[in-house]
This record gives sequence, structure tokens and C-alpha cells, in this order.
Amino acid sequence: MEINKICVLGAGVMGHGIAQVCAQAGYQVNLRDIRDELVESGIGKIRQFLAGSVERQKMSQMEADNILGRIRGMTDLAEAVRDVDLVIEAIVEDINVKKDVFRELDRLCREDTIFASNTSAQSITEMAMATKRPQKFIGMHWFNPPQLMRGIEVIVHDRTSRETLETMVELCKKLGREPGVCKDSPGFIVNRLLQIWYNEGLNMFDEGVAEPRDIDTALKAAYSFRMGPFELRDMVGLDVALASTSTHYRELMREQFKPPRCLIMKVKAGELGRKTERGFYEYQPRGG
Amino acid sequence: MSITTVCIIGNGDMGLRLQELLSKGDFRIMTSRLEEDYAEQASSADLVLEVAPEEMALKMEVLKDCDTRCRKETVLATTTANSWVTKLAAATGRPEKVIGLNFTKNPFEEKYLVQIVKGLQTSDDTVQASKEFLEKAGVSVARLEETPGFILDRVIASVVNEAAVMYSAKLATIEDIDRMMKVCVNWPMGPFEFADSIGIDRIVETLDSLSQQLGPKYLPCFLLRKMVHAGWLGKKTGRGFYNYAK
Repeated sequence: MEINKICVLGAGVMGHGIAQVCAQAGYQVNLRDIRDELVESGIGKIRQFLAGSVERQKMSQMEADNILGRIRGMTDLAEAVRDVDLVIEAIVEDINVKKDVFRELDRLCREDTIFASNTSAQSITEMAMATKRPQKFIGMHWFNPPQLMRGIEVIVHDRTSRETLETMVELCKKLGREPGVCKDSPGFIVNRLLQIWYNEGLNMFDEGVAEPRDIDTALKAAYSFRMGPFELRDMVGLDVALASTSTHYRELMREQFKPPRCLIMKVKAGELGRKTERGFYEYQPRGG
Repeated sequence: MSITTVCIIGNGDMGLRLQELLSKGDFRIMTSRLEEDYAEQASSADLVLEVAPEEMALKMEVLKDCDTRCRKETVLATTTANSWVTKLAAATGRPEKVIGLNFTKNPFEEKYLVQIVKGLQTSDDTVQASKEFLEKAGVSVARLEETPGFILDRVIASVVNEAAVMYSAKLATIEDIDRMMKVCVNWPMGPFEFADSIGIDRIVETLDSLSQQLGPKYLPCFLLRKMVHAGWLGKKTGRGFYNYAK
């Protein structure tokens, strides 16, 4: 199936970035959020990003204008999804809110419109089965920031049709992105393997085998990982890290995903990483 | 204690590469073949670095021999990649002076990481002197208490094991799993590429050793064991997760 017009739901960090990438590839995009100021903020960030690209001579002013011209911001859901070939959902990570939205989309959209969710943590199967078009339902997991990250996980569930999958893989390529196909399962490919990598580093610290600095140094110096597990955890935030590990542990029900004790204790102590200036490492106050 | 004179015993590829690497520091370096008489060189060294083939008996013999020939303050270092440091140390009369220095060449850049492995009886002074010596030679170091797989093999083997579980369950292809880790989170290699270059046999050995020490969550995925049975050990045999025989 050919995709011409896309609706992106949610103009937050992921949503506005996704809308920008789609518009840059020549697609007409409706960017929808629930309030005007959210839509305006998202479009403002796209404008800012494009202005930066023009300044660095990565694109001409005319190209930037054309890209912005292909994006229409709106708050009315029915108008936003009318006549689109694909809806990419990038709203709040709450399964019930998402299911409600997809049920409503089911009523508002054409029968052949594909639904894609950008979730990183919710079940594609569960959302798909809340609609009357499970064969047209697929996961499209982008990475932050969408404008710069080249990989997209394409998530199929048992009833996703081959045509829907092929359309999505083709779309990713047209967007200049590299798709990787994965069956619906907790953490998909990337987050699941990252959890193991993080946990194994943190477990060694828990066991008294080595200090964070030594573990991070080992992985960076020997294999050119850009950051070590402790540095990355501190950057993302240890509360976010603990929530993510706990979700994997609960859903995959395997010991490998059990939250390490050092992570639990840091969160209890309120030492959440860079944002509190102290996590596994200490940081200088920002601007101080 | 400061290390200025080093004796490398074992002149295989690794011995020669280490000589070249360490020559960047301001040290006196002597290299000796295993079968040569290295008594004189060893007796003048502050640190003896054993680079014998990876066989426990052979390494133990070299270290015991050095123990009788070296001054009593000389550090005896083993390059073993296995958790033998405590055991090798105990075979000498100076266990507090015995340490593991395991060198890993970065496959992408011209640099090394040395895992400084502290055995149960290794003294803090020995760790500190080894660390200072290696830093003078300009190599990165990571200190650890002796543990199966050390830091690197332990982390990588655990990731490979989970990736093998995912591939066995047909959640995704080998190529897609590797590609996603590289393009989505900038990993230098995907898990299956790591596995093929480290060797599937080595991954399974590490996991077996980890599961023995730390519990069943490290038990190797059966696919990995079958690959060892089939002789699919990675790049070195032309077949691992990928086929290299072309």
C-alpha cells in the first residue's frame, strides 16, 4: 500500500521529531496534540531545528520552508486523521489512554489506514486487539532524537498482515531510516539487550568485583562503546532506569532483568544521576 | 615500589606485541622465549610478565620457576584470560606479589585495555604498582577482583546469551538484531558479531563458569552449545552466526 499522507499524534519530544522526518522525506503530515500550545511548541521546535540546518548550510531556506509547509498543526482528532494513510501514535506511555485513542481512531479513519504505535514499553498485541483492524496494526519504535537516529524497530504481532509489514519497512527506507523487524515482546530488540548490558555492569559493582569507573573504562577502551553502563544510567536518570529494568523484570519474568541493588539504593537516596548532580558519579552544577 | 625493568617471558605473537606496546613507556624491557634460559633476565626484573600459552600447568610451571629466580620484591604477572590468578598465586612463595594482567586489543582502534586482576592474596601495593606501570606505558586499565570472565567477557557473554535466546525464539533475525544495536544505540558491533569474533566456544566457557559460580541465570542458551558441538565457533572456523567461508 502506498503512503502519501501521515498523521502524527502527539507533538512532544518524539512526535514533533517524527513529523519532521516524515515531512523532510516529502510526506504531507498532520501533527496533532490535545492543546494548541502543545502543537505550537512542537512546530516551534521543528522550525528551530530547520533554522539550525539552514544556518549550518545543510539545507536551503526554500527547502526548510517547503518542509514546514508540509506540516499542518491541529488539535481536532477527526480532522487530523481524515484521509490519512497512516497514523503514527506518539502520545503518553499509558496503555489505557493509548487503547482509548486507537478505539476512537478505528471509528474516525478509513478502513485501510494503518495504525502504528511508537511505544517503547507497551504491548503492540494488546493495542492491536483493541481495534477492529489488528492486521493493519504495527509498532514503529523510533529512537531519541528521531531527527538524528537512523534505526527504527518495526514491531509485528501475530495478526499483523504481510502487506502492513512490507508497507512499513518500505516507508522506513523512504524516510532514510534502517528498519529492524521484531515480534512483539517486552523491550523489543534494543531495550531488552541494553538491560542485560546495564545490569551485568551494575551486578559486578554490587558483587564488589569492580568500581563503576573501571567497568565503564573497560568497555569503552576495549570495544569503543561511546559510554559505559554507569555513565549512561546517570545520563538518562536512575529513577527512569529503575522503572525500565523493573518493567522488563516483571514482564519477562527472568532473573537476568532483576534490578541491581545499587540502582535501588541510589533511587532511595535521591541520587538520580546528572539531573541531581550525583548518581554513580558526581557532577558539577550546571552553569555553576 | 616502582617498576622500571620488565621481563616478558614467551615470544609468541602476544609477547612481541606486548613488548612493542610497553616500549612506549620508559622501561627496560627484556623478552625471552619460554624454552630459553631466562634466569638472568628474570633475576634483574621488577616485573615478570608471563605470556605462555593458555594452559594452567604451563603457566604454573613458569611462575613457580620465576619465583625461585626473581628477587623477593619482584611482581609476577600472568596474562591468563581465565580465573586462575588466585590458584597460580598460591603455587608460588609470594602470592601477594602475583597478579593478572590481561591485555585486550581494541578491534577498531590502535589501543589496548588491560584488566588488572586481583587474586585473593594479591596485595594492594602490587595492584597499585601494576596500575602505575601500565599507565606510564599509556594503556587504559580496569581493576577488578578475580571473577569468571573478568569484566569484558562477562558483559559481552551475557549480552550474546540473551541475543541467542531472542534469535532462538524467532523474535528477530541475526542481521536485524545486530543492525539495530549499531544504528539505534551506536554499539560498535552487534551481539552476534561480538560472538563470532570472540569465539562461540569462549562465550560458552565463560557462561558455564559464570553459572557455576553465580547461578543458573548465566546458563548458556542451548543454541550456543549446539554451535560448539557443530564446530561453528565463529570467524576462526569460517562459520558462526554468520558464514565467513566465501
